[in-house]
Amino acid sequence: MLKNELFNNVMQDFNAGYWELLINPYGENWSDLFYETLGYIKNDKESNLDYFLEHLIHKDDKDVFRDNFLNYRKNSVNFKQHIKIRTNQDVYQLFRCATNDTLPVDIKSETKYVFFFEIKLEPDKTLKKDNFYYKETAQMTATGSWYVDFNKKQSYWDFETYRILEYPEDYIPSLKDSANYYAEDYQQLAAECFFNCAMAGTPFNTEIKMVTANKREFWAKAIGKPMYNDNKEIVGIRGVFQDINESKKKEEGLQKSVDIIAAQNSRLFNFAHIVSHNLRSHTSNLSLLVQLIEDIDDPKEKEELISEVKTISSNLNTTIEHLNEIVTIQTNNKQERLPVKFNEALQLVINGISHMIHQSQSQIRADFSELEEIRYIPAYLESILLNLITNAIKYKHENRFPIITIKSYKEKGNKFLKIMDNGRGIDMALFKDKIFGMYKTFHYNEDAVGIGLFITKNQVESLDGIITVESQVGKGTTFIIQF
Amino acid sequence: MGDKIELACIIDDDSVYVRLIKRIIKAKHLCKNVLVFENGKEALVYFETILQNIEEQRIPEIIFLDLNMPMMDGWEFMEEFTKIKNQFNKIITLYIVSSSINPADINKAKSLNGVTDYLIKPVTIKDLESIFGAIENK
Repeated sequence: MLKNELFNNVMQDFNAGYWELLINPYGENWSDLFYETLGYIKNDKESNLDYFLEHLIHKDDKDVFRDNFLNYRKNSVNFKQHIKIRTNQDVYQLFRCATNDTLPVDIKSETKYVFFFEIKLEPDKTLKKDNFYYKETAQMTATGSWYVDFNKKQSYWDFETYRILEYPEDYIPSLKDSANYYAEDYQQLAAECFFNCAMAGTPFNTEIKMVTANKREFWAKAIGKPMYNDNKEIVGIRGVFQDINESKKKEEGLQKSVDIIAAQNSRLFNFAHIVSHNLRSHTSNLSLLVQLIEDIDDPKEKEELISEVKTISSNLNTTIEHLNEIVTIQTNNKQERLPVKFNEALQLVINGISHMIHQSQSQIRADFSELEEIRYIPAYLESILLNLITNAIKYKHENRFPIITIKSYKEKGNKFLKIMDNGRGIDMALFKDKIFGMYKTFHYNEDAVGIGLFITKNQVESLDGIITVESQVGKGTTFIIQF
Repeated sequence: MGDKIELACIIDDDSVYVRLIKRIIKAKHLCKNVLVFENGKEALVYFETILQNIEEQRIPEIIFLDLNMPMMDGWEFMEEFTKIKNQFNKIITLYIVSSSINPADINKAKSLNGVTDYLIKPVTIKDLESIFGAIENK
C-alpha cells in the first residue's frame, strides 16, 4: 500500500498501527499492525469510523475523537489525542493518536494518516495525571477552555476562562452577551469566526482583542473548532482563549522599533541620495569647466572662465552649508526636550520678522488655549514656526493681505499644531510629492528657497512627529504637525 | 564644422551648466542659436505657442533636457511634449542630460519613445561634437 520506501522505513520506526484515509471510495483503511496491537484479526471487524466509534473507542474519548477526526478529514487540522481502545481481551488500551504532522519533515504525504501509538501505562493512572496536567497547563499558559452547545443553547467556561476574563464564578456565560467579551473593533471578527465555524465548520485560530468583566482590554489568541454529532452535524464549538497580552505588547513594541529604524534608515538613504546628487551637479560643472579651459587657447577667454570657478565654489559652499544644517538636525534629536510655551516661541519669531510682517500687513491670529505648551526642542519649534509663517507671507495671495491662523490642540491623545494661511495655495495634484522635497534650485537662490520646508519636515520627523499639508489653489494652505 | 544646425534647446535650471554648454557650442561652432529654458514648464509654453504659428526656424533640431527641475521636471515635460511633438513636422532629437546616476532613471529615460540617449553629467566636449555631428550628417 505504501509505495514510498522512505515512508516504509518511517513506519517501521514508528512501530504503530495507522489508518489510511481514503477519499475514493470514502473510508478508512486500517493497517495490519493496528489490528494486531488490539488482538483482532483483519476482516473480523469492519474498518470504518462508525464501527470504531460505536464499539471500540472508550465512550469518554468518543466525542473529542470524532471532532478531531472530522476536522482533520475535512479541514486538514492535524491533532494529537490520547484515546482508549477496547482490545479483544475486553480491556481498554491507551493510545496516543497523531496525524501527518508527526511525520518527519522530509516526507510529504498526499494521503492523510492517523497513527496509533501504544502507551504502556495503566489507563487509570494516566487519567488522573491528565487532569492534573491539564489544570497546570491551563494556569501556567493562561489558557481557558470553553464550549458552546448549540442544542442546549448554552456556553460553558472552565475555571481559567473565568479567571482571564475576570468574571465571578457564578456568572453564566451566554451567546447573547458574547459581543461584550470582545473589544469594539473586534466584535465583527469574533462574529465572523463563530458564524463560519458554526455554519461551514471552518475552524479558527486568530489573535483578537478581548474585554474583561472589569472593562480591561487585552490581547488573546482565540482558537475554536466545530463539534459533530453521530450524524456528522455541527452541534457546537469548542475552543480556547489564551491571554497573550504580554507577548503582543512586546510584539507591538518591537514593531514600533522596527518602524522607527526603518524611518531613520529611509532618512539616511534619502540624505545619502541628496548628498550624492547635489554634490555631483557641482563636480560635473567643475569638470566641464576644466575641459573648456584646456580646450581654449585665448588667454583672455581663459581668464573669463576662471571667474566661473568662483561661482561653482560658492555654490558648492552653499550646498555644503545646507547639508550641514540637515546633519545637525539628525544629530540634534538627542538634545533634551524642554517644556516650551507656544506663545513664547511665537513671540520670538514675530519679533524676529516684525519688519516682514509689518510691510506685508500680515495678521497673525494665534490660539493656544487648548494646549499651551509641549516638551520639544525650543529651537526647532521656533524654526518650524518661522519657516511656515515666512512661507505664508512670501506666497501670499496677490489680492489680499496675509492672515495666518495658528492653533494648538489635542485629539485622541495626540498633540497637534495647525498653521493655516489664506495665501495663493499649492497645486496639490502637481506638487504633492515635492512640497517637502529638496530642490536643486535652492543652491544658488539667495534666500534659500526650496530648503525651508525640507528642514521643517526633517525637524518634525527627527522628533518622531508627522507633518502634513492640505492646500487649494487660490484659497490657502494648511500645515498640520502632529508632535 | 560650419554651424549647419540652426537651433539647439537647453532645458536646465543650473545656470552655470547652461553658461558652460553655451560657451562650448559657441567655441566649437556647433550651432547658430541656443534657446534656454529654466524648467519644463517654460519650455512647454514655448512649444505650445509656436504650434499656433509654426515657423520652421523657431523649432530646435536638438533638445538637451535635464530631469531634476522645479515647477515641471524632465519627466513631466516628456509626457506633455510627446503629445505634441509630431505636429512640428520636423525631426527633433532629444537627449536627457542629468547628474542622476540612478539606474532607475537611466532605464526609464532609455525606455521612453522620443529619447535618443541618456547623458550623465558631466558631458564632454567630445560627446557634444559627435552628437551635433551626427545630426548634421543626417
